[in-house]
This record gives sequence, C-alpha cells and structure tokens, in this order.
Amino acid sequence: MKKSYFPFSRISIGVRLVVVAMLSSLIILVGAAFVLSEIYRRAAERAFDERLHVYIQSVAANIASKNTANAFDPYGLGDPRFTLPLSGWYWQIRIEGSAPQNIFSSLSLFGGRLPRLEDLHVPSHDGSSREGYIIGPDERRLRLVERALELPDGARYLVQIAGNADEIEQTIQNFKTALWTAFALLACVLGVTTIFQTRFGLLPLSRLSNQISSIRRGLSDRVEGEFPDDIAPVAGELNLLIESNRDILERARTQVGNLAHALKTPLSVILNEATGQETPLADKVREQADIMRDQVNWHLERARAAARAGAIGVTTDIEPALAGLQRTFLKIYSERALSIELNCSPDLKFRGEKRDFDDMIGNLVDNAAKWARHQINIDALGIPVIDGRNFLEVIVSDDGPGLPSEKRKDVMRRGQRLDETVPGSGLGLAIVADLASLYGGSLTLEDSEQGGLRAVLRLPSL
Amino acid sequence: MRLLVVEDDRDLNRQLVKALGQAGYAVDSAFDGEEAQFLGETEPYDAVILDLGLPKLDGVSVLEAWRLAGRKMPVLVLTARDGWSDKVKSFDAGADDYVTKPFHIEEILARLRALVRRATGHASSDLVCGPIRVDTRAGRVLVHNEPIRLTSHEYRLMSYLMHHIGRIISRTELVEHLYDQDFDRDSNTIEVFVGRLRKKLGVDVIKTIRGLGYLIEPPPSS
Repeated sequence: MKKSYFPFSRISIGVRLVVVAMLSSLIILVGAAFVLSEIYRRAAERAFDERLHVYIQSVAANIASKNTANAFDPYGLGDPRFTLPLSGWYWQIRIEGSAPQNIFSSLSLFGGRLPRLEDLHVPSHDGSSREGYIIGPDERRLRLVERALELPDGARYLVQIAGNADEIEQTIQNFKTALWTAFALLACVLGVTTIFQTRFGLLPLSRLSNQISSIRRGLSDRVEGEFPDDIAPVAGELNLLIESNRDILERARTQVGNLAHALKTPLSVILNEATGQETPLADKVREQADIMRDQVNWHLERARAAARAGAIGVTTDIEPALAGLQRTFLKIYSERALSIELNCSPDLKFRGEKRDFDDMIGNLVDNAAKWARHQINIDALGIPVIDGRNFLEVIVSDDGPGLPSEKRKDVMRRGQRLDETVPGSGLGLAIVADLASLYGGSLTLEDSEQGGLRAVLRLPSL
Repeated sequence: MRLLVVEDDRDLNRQLVKALGQAGYAVDSAFDGEEAQFLGETEPYDAVILDLGLPKLDGVSVLEAWRLAGRKMPVLVLTARDGWSDKVKSFDAGADDYVTKPFHIEEILARLRALVRRATGHASSDLVCGPIRVDTRAGRVLVHNEPIRLTSHEYRLMSYLMHHIGRIISRTELVEHLYDQDFDRDSNTIEVFVGRLRKKLGVDVIKTIRGLGYLIEPPPSS
C-alpha cells in the first residue's frame, strides 16, 4: 500500500462529517451570540439614553419657561432618587459664560460635580447633545447625557443628567445569560442530530463494508440487498468483479486441466512405445519423456496454484476433507498395516480451495506414508491469532527414520528426491511449501515424538 | 485372468491391450463410458483399468454404477488429473488403486498383479502349491524349482487355478476368465488345455471333479 502523507487520511468518514459539522456550527453559534449581544447592548443604551433625555427635556422646558436658572425647581423632576445622596442619579445645570460659573445640581450629587462630556472629547451626533460613560463622584460608572441650550435672550446652559450605568449592565447581563443558555442547548441538539444524521447517512456504506468483509471471509459469495442510488452501482460492480474473478479462475483451471490431459496421454503413448526396446533411441525417448513428465507436472501444479490462490471468499471444511484423505490412504496402503490416526478440532475452516487443501495434506501424508513404519498421526487445530489473522495448523507426523535437519531445506526445493528407490516425483514437499506460501501460510519440518518427521503446515483459517 | 481396459485414446488403449496380453491376461477394451459400463456389468472381469476422462460417461460415474450394481472386481483408475481431490473422489467411488499419466507400463502391471492377488486373498506374488510355484511377477511356472515352458493360454489357465486354490472352478468360469470376448469360445477346448497342462507339469495337482469342474487342492501342511 502507498503510504499517505496526509495526516488525516485514515480518519473515518463518520468522524470527519461529525467533527466538521460540530466545529462549523460552534463557530456560527458563538459568532451569532457575540453579534446579538452587541446589538442588544446598543438597543439597551439607546433606551436608557431616551429615558435620560426625557428628564433633560423637562429640565429644558422648565428653564425656558422661567427664563432663569435661578427659578429652576430642583424637585420638579419628581424622582426621589435625585434627592437621595449619591444614589447614582444626578442632574446638573451650568450657566455658560458667567464667571464664576453658576452651577446648580441635584441634592444627590452632594456637592460634587459632573464633568463635561465635551471636555472628555465625546463626539456629538446632532451638535448639541452628547451621551457617554463617566466615573461619578461615588466611584460608580454612570451614563451621562448632556445638552447645550441657548435661549432667545442669549443665555446659554448646559443641562446634564446622569443615571446609574449598572442598570444597563444588568439588563445586558440578563440577556446574555438567557442567550448563552439557549445557544448551548441549541448546540447540543445540533450535535445529536449531526451524529444521528451521519450514522443514518453512512448506514448503507457500513452495510456494504460488512458485506465485503463477509465475502472475504467466505461467509457469502456476493453483495446482497438493496442499496441507495449513489452506491448501488458500486455494489453491482463489485458483484460483477467477483463473478468475473470466479469465471477467470474457473476458465484458467479448466484450461490447465485440459492441458494436463492433452499432454499426459501422448506422453504415456511415447513412453510405452519406447518400453521393451533396448535401442539407444528408445533409451533416449524414455529418459526425455520422464524429464518432460516431471516438468509438465511441476509447471501445471504451479499454474494451477497461481490460478487458485487468488479466489475470493472460498473456504473449506477441513474435517470432512481430512477424513476423505484418511479413507483414501487407508485403502492405498491397505497391505502395509499402516495406522493413520486423525485428530481434528471441530468446525475448522481453511480459507482457500478444497483442491489445494487436499493436495497439500495429500502430499504430506503420502510422504509420511513412504517412510513410516506403522503409524501416521494427523492433527488439526486452531492456533492463537497472529497479527490479527486466524490460522490453523495441520501436523502430520510419522514414526519413520526422520530427516536430518541439514537436509530439510533441500526437500522443500524443487526437484529434490532424497531416495530414488521410493516412488514419487520428489516434488511433493516443494509443492506443499509453495502452495502454503501462496496462501500466506508456511511449512516447517521438525522431529516427531516417535522419531520420524513432523511436518507442520500453517494455513489461514476463518 | 481377464481384464477390461477402458481408455478413449486409441494408441494408449492398443498399447495397454498389447502389453497386458503379453503379460498373460485376456484383455477386452472399451473406448467410452457407456460401453465400459455395459461390459463391466455383464462380463466377469478379474480387474479393470479405467481412465477417468471418458466420452459419453465419465469414469467416476461408470465406477459408481458398477459398485451400485454390486460388481466387486478390483479397479485401477488411470488419469491425467493427479490432484488429491481427484484421488479421494475416485477411491470414494470405489476405486482400488490409482495411477497417474504418464506412466510406465511396468507400474500398471505391478499394481494389477497386487490388485488381483489381494482380491483373491494371496499375500505373496509367488503362488505355491506343493512342488509347483507360479511366479506372477515373471509370468513363469516352476515345478521343483525348474521352469517349464507354457503357452500363454496354458499359463493363464494355470495362474487362474492357482489364484483360486481350494475352490472348484467350473468349465464355464474358466472360459469366461481365460478368453476375451472376441475369442471363439468352446468349452471343449478347456479339456484339451487341462490335459496338455497336466502332461507338461508332470505332477498330478489338477483334480477333475466330475460334473462340477477342476480343483487344485491346497497341500495339507499349509
């Protein structure tokens, strides 16, 4: 497999969708909360300012009607907070241009002074009134509204009303609490829906992947069931692929079988024609025909194995297969009083073709039978998982003379016949080792307890 | 001993018939599955050589049909398919032995001898009765360890009687097992053969049981 340098390439589609959806809705929600808070703050300030302006209006009306600041009725505003000392609510009227400055102020101001917003460089939106925050005489934050008045007689006043800014902050705070609670709830609901939507949306994909894995494990031989329009073509293509894979293998196998038949019968004829004649030509024909036989056997076996090992999702029950081989060997060696004992854990399944399993075990037992004195043991068992894959082991051991360890490698190589007097093409163990490695398994030769050879064949299982 | 060779390749069939004939067997041949099934069910063969890849009806089906019909003769399966699955299938269908192509004719002869021997209950390839010994491997008959010259028909007769030591063999049975189906059968010739054989052996081992047939009695010691 090509190594990917994109760090997220292995993260599942479901996680991607959920993470992206959650992040984006979080950003949108937080952004919306800030914007809404700011809009609300402005609205709250304007509402507060309007209340203050109402007071200014009434003070201005008062001044205009009396036409003198002296006549101003300090209690005319009718709000008791302007009389309570340091209540946070104050008014102040400056008569501009007079020196020393004439300043009237509410009782609540307790002799203190409110600064001019104009001096604090607060801009005015209509040229005469200004709004802004100041720190009052009681160290509290105040909202101050001021307005410059010019009466027709030329007298100029600056009317200022200040209110406790805590009131604005309080409303804004209440609003924010409600807003964040609502948005947090909304985020939770969105999260749950996203997860549900992703799960539901990806359901057909995970079904497809389950089906593929069960095909690979040999539990089914095609993708079954209905799929949504977007992935139905994938499922269809997959089935076609599996079928064509099977067809190609079947055709290859048939052709190899036909080739075997087509080659071997004429070879038999040539061999037999040369038999019984003692001419140099007949000798040469016999010798070459024998070589051809070995070559044909070897290459046909290879071609057949290569054609088979690619099959998808084929499994073999090994217990009946082993029992069949045991019956066969007992019949073949019925004259030798050979005991063949079979011990098989139930329900073992080899992940591959029965023909290959038969050929591997057949060759192993055949080899054991050539050397055994009385006893051959066939044991089949599942072994612990290796690298996340299941394996089974078939162990064929005999009580023959065994094989020295330095010769064990040789017999697994092609064309090695250790004892020319024992019939056989000498390819047996090499074919087994070859086939096993095609399936990702292995063949190892050891000493058996009875003194003979012990062949351990490890194969992928279900 | 009478054999059936079932092989669709004409050359190979001819070679087998020739080699087996030289080895002292009476041989019939069939070239397809249907013919083979018919012959196997109607003729009393002592052994059959059966190719698996046959036209009309495949070898395994032929074999199963024979066994289903109760035919018990030993069958040597001959095939180009040398996978163990094919072997298991053949043996389960009732085969007694298995030879893969290409083969040496000697291998077929040795396997056949063993099959016939096993089917008649003999442990050794030498059949002995008193002073007489039949060496089935070499196709010779020895009296007091001296080989005697026999024609192929005489050898066939001797070998059949010796394989069935202690059993009365009728004349009809001898005719059925000594001649192939194309031979002009006349049970009177059997009497002539037995007479010649007795003369050549020089020892009186072949008894005539009147009205029943012939018998070689096992020596009392064995």
